[in-house]
Amino acid sequence: MNSQRIPRFTFSERVIHWAVGASFVFLLVTGLAFSHPRLYWLTYLVGGGSTARALHPLVGILFSVSLILMFFVWLKDMGLDSQDRKWLKAIMHYIKHDRDKVPEAGKYNAGQKVFFWSMSLLGLLYLITGVIMWKPEGILGLGPFYGSIVNFMRLVHYLVTVVGGLLLIVHVYLGTAAYPGTLGGMLHGSVTQSWAALHHPRWRRDKRSP
Amino acid sequence: MSSSNNTLGIKRISASPDPPPGIQQGPEFSKLVDISRCIGCKGCEVACKEWNELGIEPTENFGSFQSHRDLSSDTWLLMRFTESEIDGDLQWLIKKDACLHCEEPGCLYACPAPGAIVQYQNGIVDFNQDNCIGCQLCVSGCPFDIPRLNPETKTVFKCNMCIDRVEAGLEPACVKTCPTGAILWGTKQDMVSSAEKKVEGLKKRGLKNATLYDPPGVGGTHMMYIVPHGNHLEEYDLPADPTASPMALKSLQEFKKLGPWSIWIGILGIILHYIGFGPEEPLDEMSFSDHE
Repeated sequence: MNSQRIPRFTFSERVIHWAVGASFVFLLVTGLAFSHPRLYWLTYLVGGGSTARALHPLVGILFSVSLILMFFVWLKDMGLDSQDRKWLKAIMHYIKHDRDKVPEAGKYNAGQKVFFWSMSLLGLLYLITGVIMWKPEGILGLGPFYGSIVNFMRLVHYLVTVVGGLLLIVHVYLGTAAYPGTLGGMLHGSVTQSWAALHHPRWRRDKRSP
Repeated sequence: MSSSNNTLGIKRISASPDPPPGIQQGPEFSKLVDISRCIGCKGCEVACKEWNELGIEPTENFGSFQSHRDLSSDTWLLMRFTESEIDGDLQWLIKKDACLHCEEPGCLYACPAPGAIVQYQNGIVDFNQDNCIGCQLCVSGCPFDIPRLNPETKTVFKCNMCIDRVEAGLEPACVKTCPTGAILWGTKQDMVSSAEKKVEGLKKRGLKNATLYDPPGVGGTHMMYIVPHGNHLEEYDLPADPTASPMALKSLQEFKKLGPWSIWIGILGIILHYIGFGPEEPLDEMSFSDHE
């Protein structure tokens, strides 16, 4: 039966995904620590306040680089077509598991595509606001950045994190508890026939009759 | 390092959700810098370095009487000199650039590191470098652009009002050394009433726009200026209307009340979804192997 598993993510795709994921969680934990005094103890998980302050932007660079790689590796599959628009209209049926009323998905369903584009946009905002907050005295010939700019960047960085945090919660839930068999695809790269038939029937058919 | 262990005098602590421990009821102090009496000797700069044992930085001639271009982690006080034409006359504007010790300290409000910035009941705002994480958000939060990062220690420094002297009942070093009495020291109340008289005096001498600089947007300051040309504040490098809570940071504070709620609602949402609709298991894999 193992031979019947369908390859879904290559080794490099998986490495890139987990680089983005692990760095995002690190950034979320250290960022939350800075966001509220009652969460400051989270800095001790990574070695204290100064260490968290020093590592947050560096891990941010790792996150940005991984996300940029991810963007270009997955871009070709992420265009939204008319099927996807129908899917998005049927999203309530998808949430309720009424599969009959949801258009069949290809390699990625419209929700995944929207998630991809949302994270890409958030990543861009993270990078711009983060770099300015990292080195307000100036970086790469830009700056120095005045207090009013940095303060505005703080606001945007925080709002982006609220959205990003919500996206992460939904993403992790859908990838694990909600849809058993999904996590395996990202861990060892392949999924079962039955999983593919349920979640990505069009993709499964294309795979079988090239 | 922190120069004070006076816990009982603490009025505000950065990034601390708990009430500050200060219970003392002593007087509030203030410096009063009478710019009209300053002769530009820069003795205060030297006294500041000497008392606080700050590193010497080479001076540079960049076409100004000023000793350095900017404040630094080793230069907490810089006399700034600006040549400006006011009412057809050349004026030599002087500003004693150092921490103003705001009653509403923007740096303290902006700081995410617990205990890195404290404000004492006597008005002094002090940095505790042992708690500082070097993020420099205090620099952005300061409406006067005063704190400076030390690139080696990765912590931020600024004038501490010679807190060790003040606690021993002495005036700050710059006040002590000023030869013309341009920098005065006393209770905030005394300094304000003294300033009002001095402003009146300047007005009688023909400086119609002379004013006391004690901006309300930061709750007043504990270093006030008497500005001879009060209608040219920006040219003195004094912001006309500084604020401790700029719009972006005020909005940030409001959103920070909502942010955690939206995350909790998200978590509640997935729990309810799991209970309501459960996991969606694929069909039995065997059924696929059989057919195909």
